[in-house]
Amino acid sequence: MTQPCAHIIDDDEAIRDALQWLFKTRDVACATWPSAENFLAALQPGWRGCVVLDIRMEGMSGLECFDVLRQRGNQLPVIFITGHGDVPMAVAALKKGAFDFIEKPFNDSDLVDIVTRALEIDANNHRAETTRETVETRLALLTAREQEVMELILAGKFNKVIADDLCISMRTVEAHRSKVFEKMEVRSAVELAQLVNLVRNRPPH
Amino acid sequence: MSPPQTTALSVRQRWLTAVPYLTVLLFLVVIAALVWFTRSYDEEEQRATLISDVLWMEQNLQFKLERNASQLAQIGQEILAADRHLPQTSAALRQLVRAENGLVRVMWLDAEGRLKGALPPIGEGEMLGEQLGEQSAANLRLAQALERRVYGQVYAAAGDRLQFEVHVPIYAENGFVGAMIGVYSLHDLVTHDLPWWFAERYRVSVLDSDGHELVAKSKVAPLSDRQSYTMAFDPPGGGLTLQVTAYQGETRWVQVLLIGSILLLGGILVWSVLQLRRELQRRHRAEQALRSESLFRRAMEDSMLTGLRARDLDGRITYVNPAFCRMVGYSAEELIGRTPPMPYWDPEFLQQTQDIHDRVLRGDASPEGFEIRLRRKSGERFDALIFEAPLIDAAGRHTGWMGSMLDITAQKRAEELARQQEERLQATSRLITMGEMASTLAHELNQPLAAIASYNTGCINRLEQPEIDRSELKDIFDRIGRQARRAGDIIRRVHDFVRRSEPKREPLDINLMIREAIGLIEADSTKRGMRIETELEEALPSVAADPVMIEQVIVNLVRNGMDAMRDNPPARRTVRVSTRREGDTLVVRVADNGTGIDAETGRRLFEPFFTTKAEGMGMGLNICRSIAELHHGRLGFETNPDGGTIFTLSLPVETP
Repeated sequence: MTQPCAHIIDDDEAIRDALQWLFKTRDVACATWPSAENFLAALQPGWRGCVVLDIRMEGMSGLECFDVLRQRGNQLPVIFITGHGDVPMAVAALKKGAFDFIEKPFNDSDLVDIVTRALEIDANNHRAETTRETVETRLALLTAREQEVMELILAGKFNKVIADDLCISMRTVEAHRSKVFEKMEVRSAVELAQLVNLVRNRPPH
Repeated sequence: MSPPQTTALSVRQRWLTAVPYLTVLLFLVVIAALVWFTRSYDEEEQRATLISDVLWMEQNLQFKLERNASQLAQIGQEILAADRHLPQTSAALRQLVRAENGLVRVMWLDAEGRLKGALPPIGEGEMLGEQLGEQSAANLRLAQALERRVYGQVYAAAGDRLQFEVHVPIYAENGFVGAMIGVYSLHDLVTHDLPWWFAERYRVSVLDSDGHELVAKSKVAPLSDRQSYTMAFDPPGGGLTLQVTAYQGETRWVQVLLIGSILLLGGILVWSVLQLRRELQRRHRAEQALRSESLFRRAMEDSMLTGLRARDLDGRITYVNPAFCRMVGYSAEELIGRTPPMPYWDPEFLQQTQDIHDRVLRGDASPEGFEIRLRRKSGERFDALIFEAPLIDAAGRHTGWMGSMLDITAQKRAEELARQQEERLQATSRLITMGEMASTLAHELNQPLAAIASYNTGCINRLEQPEIDRSELKDIFDRIGRQARRAGDIIRRVHDFVRRSEPKREPLDINLMIREAIGLIEADSTKRGMRIETELEEALPSVAADPVMIEQVIVNLVRNGMDAMRDNPPARRTVRVSTRREGDTLVVRVADNGTGIDAETGRRLFEPFFTTKAEGMGMGLNICRSIAELHHGRLGFETNPDGGTIFTLSLPVETP
């Protein structure tokens, strides 16, 4: 299951079936699970997409399932479907990092829209994650001296200043700089800064 | 009463009680004084009589002596001076010498003192000297010298007689011619010829100068010499004394009797006063006891909260106690003597009240008492519980009716209030149950509806696309239809539940009932991860019951069971409902594996408003038990051997 999809977890078969049909008509890939336990048992770390969780379920409740997900370090966006009585719980869950909650009875188109957005976010997250991994791989290629030089470049210092700071010649600085640019696959200091910032200042999920 | 009054009264009373004794004492003293006075007066009178009698006797003796001497002188003149012995003279002499005159002998002497004669004549044996001794001669000389008669000393003569003589000198023309001597017997003189009355009254005796008794009229000695009188006996003189002593007069019985009877009566008087006093004290004590008893009873009646009312056989009020007056608001004066209709009867129920009254008077009143609505003077109505009993007087006669009345308005109001409260609570509980049920059902209803909506949105999405797969859509519409029916089923169940709100009693298949009840809860139970298992005995007889109520009990018990297992692991989340026939009852058991019920909770479990749940009202089990009891059944609980609690609902089997 490498394709991103919406995981619908609901103990009511009719709901599962209806949502599956709905998502199908909007070309949203989805998978259905009769219980949280089933889903958690099958869950793999690489799965992409989002989770649509019913709060009140036989067995493990939606909230419990959410907690387990987060404990496992899974960052899939979670959308809660909630009955009227569960709203405070859903809000609390939202504060803990749930993507959204939607109250029953819901507007199905809204639900699909939310799910679509969640899938996009997840995809973005996934992309950002991938970029970060690339940058980190490239950073790992740098020698200690090259890293020193890079930090100073990121601090916006000129080559001359860098040479003074490191007590090396301007030429040596030039050599390190071109090496850093080469290894980091960038053409300018600005590009370098953007790339490194991706790693150092992680955007919030 | 204040102490001073008591003292004053007791002083007065003491005086009053002492007066009879004082009077009796005074009476006796006066009587004694009177008797003494009478006696002494009598004695004085007796003494005066005695003295006059003695004087009379003395005078009589003197007179006799004087007359004898005169006779002697006369006869002496005849026989000495005239010297003639006429027959008349002899007759006179004989006449003289008689015992009545006290003379035993008369002698006459001549001038020389020679005896000239004597009558009776002196016998041969008699010595002359005896008559004419020295003494006699001296007397004779003295008489001659004095020329008058002389009495001699008393001397003893033969035959123990005491005698004395009188010498009477006789003179003629030629002078002294002789003397007549009369010899007196002292005894005869004194005792003879005393009148009978004198002899009866007095003892007469002659004493010599030494006080020796010489002669006495009787040998019997008087008992007392208190009443005696002594006087000189002169003549004959010579120190003789005449003593007259009254005989102890015959006892004066009348007086003795009088005194005796007075003493007796006085004694009786004292005794009767004492008896009277004792009787009085006894009466006083009895009266005191009666008064304190009466006061005690009065205090009891007055302090009673029960109204008391006595009526005679005609229904006329003869007595009411303060509690009764307080209850009806009329004073005792306004009520006593009243006949029906009474002022405190409620005009609205006049006929009924009159009927009850008549029944009481006929003696048909129920011994359990009867309730009646009455009206106070203020117009306020109140409910009274009245017990009527025949009033039997001390003689055992039935004289009327005694009624005791309790104001039960507050009690009735409280009962009514409690009943209304119970009804309201039942209704509230029912509403809550229904509310919860509705909430659950609404939630359940959400599922098919949400599914329908989703199918529907999907269909619309499809319809917006250029190509339509009809078979695909048909399949989806089928599913929509199924979900719509599912929703319809839920709504029908709600409708069924709500529709059966009228309580009724009908033959009930308990198993069917339980299945329906579980059907109601099932959705909730699956949501909560609970299982409900049934173990229903087949072919059970029906029970007469209100299905809604019994359903409510079962729903409640199953819900309680589920609540008790809230914290259980999923494997131990089963409520087991079983039915069994046990003799004449059907027993429904609802068992859970929950936390169980501790002793304290168990004791208070059925109390209204006792709950162990944060959101509970504490009415559920109370109402359940009421329902069980309403069906003559019982609701209990026991500890589940598998852990948790078993609630048991027993209902009596309907007998055909």
